[in-house]
Amino acid sequence: MSSILRQHAEDLYAQELEEIRKQDDEKKPTNWKLSPQAVVLYLVGGKLKNGFEVSPKYIGSKRLMEIAVATLTTDRALLLYGLPGTAKSWVSEHLAAAISGDSTLIIQGTAGTGEEAVRYGWNYAKLLAEGPSEKALVETPVMRAMKDGKIARIEELTRIGADVQDTLITILSEKTLPVPELNTEIQAVKGFNIIATANNRDKGVNELSSALKRRFNTVILPVPDSIDEEIDIVRRRVESFEKVMELPAEKPALQEIRRIVTIFRELRSGVTLDGKTKIKIPTGTLSTAEAISVVNNGLAMAAYFGDGQIKAADLAAGILGAVVKDPVQDKIVWQEYLETVVKPRDEWKDVYRACRDLPSM
Amino acid sequence: MAIHILGIRHHGPGSARNVKAFLEANKPDIVLVEGPPEADEILSMATDTELKPPVAILCYQPDAPQHSSFYPFADFSPEWQAILYAKRNNIHVRFMDLPVCNLFPLRRPNPEEPSQDLSGKGSDTVNNVSEETTTEEEEQGITIQIKKDPVTYLAEAAGYDDGEKWWEHMFEHRIGNEEVFEAINEAMGTLRELLPEKEDRIEQAREAHMRKMIRQAEREMFQNIVVICGAWHAPALINMPSQKQDNDILKGLSKVKIDCTWIPWTYNRLSYTSGYGAGVFSPGWYEHVWQHPEDDGTLWMAKVAKLFRQKQMDTSVAHVIEAVRLAESLASLRQLPKAGLDELNEATLSVLCNGESILLSLVNRELVISDRLGQVPDTIPKPPLQVDIEKTQKRLRLPATADWKDYTLDLRKENDLERSILLHRLRLLNINWGQASASSGKGTFKEQWRLQWQPEFSIEIIEKGTYGNTTEEAAATFVEEQSAQATSLKVVCSLLEESIPAELPKAVEALIKQINTLAAASGDVIQLMEVVPGLVSVTRYGNVRKTDAELVSGIATSMITRICISLPAACTGIDDESATNLVGLLATLNDSVSLLQNEEVSRQWQQTLTTVAENNNTAAIIAGYATRLLADYKILEGEALVKAFYYAMSTASVPAAAAAWLEGFLKGSGTLLLLDNDIWNIVHQWIGQLEEESFTQVLPLLRRSVAEFTPAERRKLGEKAKTGNVTTIRARETDIDEERAMKGIPVILQLLGHNNN
Repeated sequence: MSSILRQHAEDLYAQELEEIRKQDDEKKPTNWKLSPQAVVLYLVGGKLKNGFEVSPKYIGSKRLMEIAVATLTTDRALLLYGLPGTAKSWVSEHLAAAISGDSTLIIQGTAGTGEEAVRYGWNYAKLLAEGPSEKALVETPVMRAMKDGKIARIEELTRIGADVQDTLITILSEKTLPVPELNTEIQAVKGFNIIATANNRDKGVNELSSALKRRFNTVILPVPDSIDEEIDIVRRRVESFEKVMELPAEKPALQEIRRIVTIFRELRSGVTLDGKTKIKIPTGTLSTAEAISVVNNGLAMAAYFGDGQIKAADLAAGILGAVVKDPVQDKIVWQEYLETVVKPRDEWKDVYRACRDLPSM
Repeated sequence: MAIHILGIRHHGPGSARNVKAFLEANKPDIVLVEGPPEADEILSMATDTELKPPVAILCYQPDAPQHSSFYPFADFSPEWQAILYAKRNNIHVRFMDLPVCNLFPLRRPNPEEPSQDLSGKGSDTVNNVSEETTTEEEEQGITIQIKKDPVTYLAEAAGYDDGEKWWEHMFEHRIGNEEVFEAINEAMGTLRELLPEKEDRIEQAREAHMRKMIRQAEREMFQNIVVICGAWHAPALINMPSQKQDNDILKGLSKVKIDCTWIPWTYNRLSYTSGYGAGVFSPGWYEHVWQHPEDDGTLWMAKVAKLFRQKQMDTSVAHVIEAVRLAESLASLRQLPKAGLDELNEATLSVLCNGESILLSLVNRELVISDRLGQVPDTIPKPPLQVDIEKTQKRLRLPATADWKDYTLDLRKENDLERSILLHRLRLLNINWGQASASSGKGTFKEQWRLQWQPEFSIEIIEKGTYGNTTEEAAATFVEEQSAQATSLKVVCSLLEESIPAELPKAVEALIKQINTLAAASGDVIQLMEVVPGLVSVTRYGNVRKTDAELVSGIATSMITRICISLPAACTGIDDESATNLVGLLATLNDSVSLLQNEEVSRQWQQTLTTVAENNNTAAIIAGYATRLLADYKILEGEALVKAFYYAMSTASVPAAAAAWLEGFLKGSGTLLLLDNDIWNIVHQWIGQLEEESFTQVLPLLRRSVAEFTPAERRKLGEKAKTGNVTTIRARETDIDEERAMKGIPVILQLLGHNNN
């Protein structure tokens, strides 16, 4: 087993990609490794004709994945938008892996991301020694993707400054990257496209200019539709975490996962699952990813400090930490939820007690 | 002689086109359409230029108008096209469904059970009947989910996840229509063979009656008969059983009197979202498909773009181009021949709306469903709500006059009470026939009304007729709808106030539920506190008849729980005015809590009061009042109470704050000050040590606190302050020789009749 903490999607799922490729007889766009239909199959999972089982990467609406893939077949770029923890980067990585076989052409957007990180930079030693030349040019992931006809990924696009964002406009509309210093340009090869991700909860981000926005098709990744879907996601991810961390704890009972997911869903949607009682919504996001980390946290607690079996008490602190982000507002929300929703549920007595007994309450 | 059975999907534009083409090609001499035979007479109005779809045939029982059925038609309904064809070409057209006069008694035996023709999806496609026995709507929704649509089996076989979509792609969106009816008949025939026959009396009777009508047309020597019916029924009309068998089924059906009329319908009510069983998801889209069968999405996208521009959203031509392209590549990814509404919507969402589904809901409302309203000629018969109002007016001897007339109603009299109820209900329906004026001091059992009938009320009545056929039903449904849309507690509460005299128990129940929902979402404690006392008095005195007291008290307690949680925070950091206001609310809420007599709630309330009283940041007047309430509950007594007083009156507090605290504590009564010398001492000392400037500052506050006391109390307080010598009182207390006093106690106890063992 390799000692790399986290492998790239194309390496981790190399076998699946290979099997799908063998069975794939639909038409492939130029420089695509798989046909659009096969890419969708890779993302949502399913059975191949020869019985090979493809694991689902994205659990949720197949239609959304179809829109994403269809967008990439047109010459529009794809913007994955959504709350933190709704698998935006995950989907973008797998899309790039399936389409280009390479998910590593990535730019991490921050407030400090400069133009040279998006377009090209200079190797100043060479520039001074030899003057402007192709050799002195430092390629960026976007430039490489254009040359090779691959998918480039930009994470957190909205964190990049507006002036830098707008350098993408020419690249996206004319599919070319001019290098005026050398009086030349790099023209994108077929198969090039950009997948950007951005989240819509953060404040202080740089909204895309409408000129740039127009070059993107937006797909909003939602929080999971049904409780079973969400439980499925949490269970799969927690199990893979267990494997990586080699935790001695017992597998978490489905019931515990269900309760956490229920709490998160109810607080997120502002209504109890039976739809009867309305509840206040806390300020935090409460995404599926947070539910996963609460269960992971509880697992670790149970394994190292408890008897190895995950209990309400192991989870309580995690839940509280996830829900109460604003010490005044959220605390009221949480207390109200605890008293009006959790308390009357007979089989939730342990959760109620565990949460009540937490010191900060 | 030829009989053509054309199986259709109600309100399917493709079906409508096929039917129209078929009729024009085959030129029949009679058309039989699935629909109520009673409405044959009013069919002649179909070609009236003032009759514009969407419209519906309304069949109702004149003696019991709440039993009614609607048969809606849109431009793209195959039945409508068939009727139009027949009328324009002057050939016979007849409705052939089971007469409504037989149908209603059949439905009656199990009014609780949702009628079968709306339950299965397969029959949805088949039955163009919208039932208006309002209470059942919810249940219908449920059964639709439980029962599997038979068409789904076919769709699954073809690899679709939804029967509706499969049907649409197979039959509605295709341009060529060769042999489509044969295909439908065959498909449905196979389905009916494979699926267990529903043993449903109504279904059997309906199909039997349809066959009977076909036989009759044959007997009348028509040569070319075309039958338009829901696809599900088609096989049953092709394979005719013996005439006797059908007659047996139809034998002994009871009958009621039925009236029919045309009423305007809306696309909104044609859509599934409004709870109509045989509806379609997207009437607006269907109209588009009906009018522009060859559109590849460009025209639709142009419409969407136009809508967005009207709503001040920048939408360029490039957007439209990209959206159409995305829709097309989606269609090809899904291996569909043509982009359907799903693909177009998804493209709109992704390209035009930046992924925001809230904008898409605008498209959905305005274009996909569309708010189109039909129109009917003025000459048509009266709607049932009007009939009901006129009947009630007659019964209560309350004629509608154009001149105003005053009435004084004595609610203790049966007739006057009913009049008042009627007027209140009409007011709820925005039919302001009666203006209530304050009855001049005649007690609560009298109401003063001024009545004046306006001609435009009849429009209001027709409009409100969609809510129900009697004033009670319509008012209740209308109130429920308003309450569902309301976002502020105040609106719902005022609706509740108006609904109680209108005696609408169902609406009141819905309003209370809505109040609960809004209360949960509301972060405003003040609002909650304003509402609770009213609810509590409802549970306590039951002034709403038939309201489930249990339900209301549950809601009231849960609201008090919410208040208890947020109250401590709400009492901090507020200005004087809101603090005074809050004290008043605390007082009424405190009364309500006592009224509820729920131990759990009282305990919770007292705990909250303790928190409020002890919190240093609580506004002083509230803290004072909370302390006073705790003293009333005997939770703070003796030493503890004195301690609290000392603390509040200590020199470290700003004089104004201390005075405010005192004002809160003394609110309404100074008895405690008169009786408890320890407290008197504290107050006395506190005032004594105030510097002149501070004294002038707090004097108005103190005056205000004392002003509310009864004159007797004020006088006694004044006397006590004049003698003012608190130390003597204390001294007198300490003068007692306790040892000697103890000796007297057994004697006193004996005198009082106590045995000392």
